[in-house]
Amino acid sequence: MSLRYPKNSIKILTANSHPELSKLISKRLNIPLSNIKALELANNENAILVGESVRDEDVYIIQTGCGGYEKLNDYIMELLLMVHACRTASARKITAVIPNFPYARQDRKDKSRVPISAKLVANLLTTAGCDHVITLDLHASQIQGFFSIPVDNLSAEPNVLKYLQSHFEDKNSVILVSPDVGGAKRVASLADKLDTTFALIHKERAKANVVSKMVLVGDVTGKACILVDDMADTCGTLCKAADLLTEKGAKEVLAIVTHGIFSGNAIMKLNQSNLTKIVCTNSMPLNNIQDLCPKLEVIDISGILSEAIRRLHNGESVSYLFNNAVV
Amino acid sequence: MRDIVVFSGSSNKILTERICENLGLVPGEIELMKFANGETSVRLCDSVREKDVLVIQSGCGRVNDNFMELLLMISACKMASAKRITVVCPLFFYSRQAESPSSKKGVPFLPGGNRHTLLDSVPPSPRSLSRASNHTPSSSLVSNTVISSQITPQKVSQTSIPQAQVTDTSVASPSPLNPAAAARSLQAQAQTPVQTPAQSQTQSLSQSPSHSQSPHHPYKSWVAQSGTLIANLLTSAGADHIVTMDLHDAQFQGFFDIPVDNLYSKPLVQHYIVNYVRDYKDCVIVSPDAGGAKRAAAIADSLGLQFALIHKERRQRVAEHPVTAVSMGPYLLAPVASTDDLIVGPAVGSNTGSNSDTSINKNASNSDTIVATTMLVGDVQGKVCVIVDDLVDTATTIIRAARLLKEQGCIYVYALITHGIFSGDALKKVKKCGTIDQVITTNTVDQTTHVQEYGKVNGEPLEVLDVSRIFAEAIRRINNGESVSLIYDQGW
Repeated sequence: MSLRYPKNSIKILTANSHPELSKLISKRLNIPLSNIKALELANNENAILVGESVRDEDVYIIQTGCGGYEKLNDYIMELLLMVHACRTASARKITAVIPNFPYARQDRKDKSRVPISAKLVANLLTTAGCDHVITLDLHASQIQGFFSIPVDNLSAEPNVLKYLQSHFEDKNSVILVSPDVGGAKRVASLADKLDTTFALIHKERAKANVVSKMVLVGDVTGKACILVDDMADTCGTLCKAADLLTEKGAKEVLAIVTHGIFSGNAIMKLNQSNLTKIVCTNSMPLNNIQDLCPKLEVIDISGILSEAIRRLHNGESVSYLFNNAVV
Repeated sequence: MRDIVVFSGSSNKILTERICENLGLVPGEIELMKFANGETSVRLCDSVREKDVLVIQSGCGRVNDNFMELLLMISACKMASAKRITVVCPLFFYSRQAESPSSKKGVPFLPGGNRHTLLDSVPPSPRSLSRASNHTPSSSLVSNTVISSQITPQKVSQTSIPQAQVTDTSVASPSPLNPAAAARSLQAQAQTPVQTPAQSQTQSLSQSPSHSQSPHHPYKSWVAQSGTLIANLLTSAGADHIVTMDLHDAQFQGFFDIPVDNLYSKPLVQHYIVNYVRDYKDCVIVSPDAGGAKRAAAIADSLGLQFALIHKERRQRVAEHPVTAVSMGPYLLAPVASTDDLIVGPAVGSNTGSNSDTSINKNASNSDTIVATTMLVGDVQGKVCVIVDDLVDTATTIIRAARLLKEQGCIYVYALITHGIFSGDALKKVKKCGTIDQVITTNTVDQTTHVQEYGKVNGEPLEVLDVSRIFAEAIRRINNGESVSLIYDQGW
């Protein structure tokens, strides 16, 4: 075995979507970023320039699903091209590290004749030559089943829990709130671990990105409400939920989400909303947004990702990370 | 037409309408939109169950958005139980990268310090030492420019743009980098505070020898080819058949495991030449680079016309004198003006032969520089020239070619291009150069905005040939199970 598989090393590649996160991971693992770059050509196509050998190495490509209206699809193509480039460069194993999985919300045929886009992205990654995918808080964990390759769906929950424990010492003054029914499971699990109560908001959607009516299930009077969700996109839901909770007598309303997408005029909405604070992880690049939104607080999750990379490379169990925070 | 539904992507709806008009169909209804976070959403409004579905999308504009949209459309059709999905890409996605750009000249430039590792990665030669010694005595200004291009953000745009122009003209290169993008990434790298010229000059003097003497990256950089990937992605999304036109690289067909029909615009081009080019029997068909020679020669052959070829090459000249050209890192490039040194091939008469001598002498003075020489093989004196190319992106190649032709005594230049992408300010450059008298392209790429932007040059607008009939006929034949090869040779 050892003869056939000589020891190889980790190569960390970064495409253009989230260089800050890549730098953090590279720093934590003490491995410099490899000299493989995604270039942008004049006709809007991308190309990958390979400036370093990855032959027989364990390659980790870090690219998150961000970029907003302009660049999201560009970043997906960049990732696919980079995976393919490493494949042609004879990498032993290629792992795509995608903290925020793109198209995760288009995960079912909710109307007739629509594609299951998340499944398509999964297929594209496999076709390009991906051997393994690391992601964080998938919108629906069933997306793992769209892949025919192993997927590690990491959880930011331990870090979120740690944050809440350090910021809210009096458990009885806090209530966790799920802004929609789909997130009830997530909130219930967190409430169990934190030993607090939780409430639900039921919303009726007429169209995507537009919320029509909300109903609160549970009592929030006089408590600090913490809205928990996996992502904050246009923030319409969060802001409306905050309004509703304030109306129902909440002392203050916070939001804690894993993926801060903040598309459209989300930042403006947040600044004007009843939310006192919004906490999210750095699975998305937030440097520019932090200046615009004083309510934003960021939890660093590069620790989880780099520990997962280290464990994956050494063939250790990753499940430790589901229950223990890495700071 | 039996059981056929045509869907159009957002890249070229006009062409789809024309194709449908030719087929006597109405395009299928489809909802295409993008969410605020950038995700594309697709919904088919017409049933496709057990039908022959055509999806038309061209690889232009926001290429990646269009490509994802295409994949989602294919996937949606597949999920909705379509019998067969035919993908019609008038201009194929990522088609230019199929060629091997692994050669030194083909590698696009890298911003900032990476350029050094890239260029130093060629096997170290004794020449690099002499190059370093050249730097120190006379060319402080030269190396100053180099270093400041890495450090001073303000200077970045000025220094990187000429280089981008030089790079993108190489014969077998992939499409050049967007200078603006390059400048952006340069700025991103330039985190050190702005330095005064004096500071950077001293730095350059101390740094430049070390750059050229110690190549710490023995790895030779290469650009990954994406052809197989694109083919596999389309197949995995569910495409059953591909129809495209004038593939930049005919080998692309081999990347697919599904049938690919590569249509030719040749009949259309020939028709134009015969009917609209003045004095066409005496005109010369010119290929602007070696890659297009076959295409141009085929047209010249079938019309019985003369043929000329422009060949570009970059030669590294051995150092004899101090550097006089503007340098770009250890890789010295002559300024744009002198890259146009013309060496006329031996096929041309003796009067132009003397011309070549002078330019060689001139090159020798730009010692140790990479000189892009443009050679014309063939005689164009007093003739009308038709430059034929499959694809124009930044237009540098055809502008260069036209200038060379005019300098060689050609009286009128037509540029006949199948896929007029015209990225960035390509059309502006074409207008400004004044050497191309008439530009003719096809509507494989939506030309509406291009026609407006081009306006009229010498009273001639940007002419657009319609390819919809070729596509419509091919689609009809595919749908009916007839032979498609017949239409390759027929005139339209």
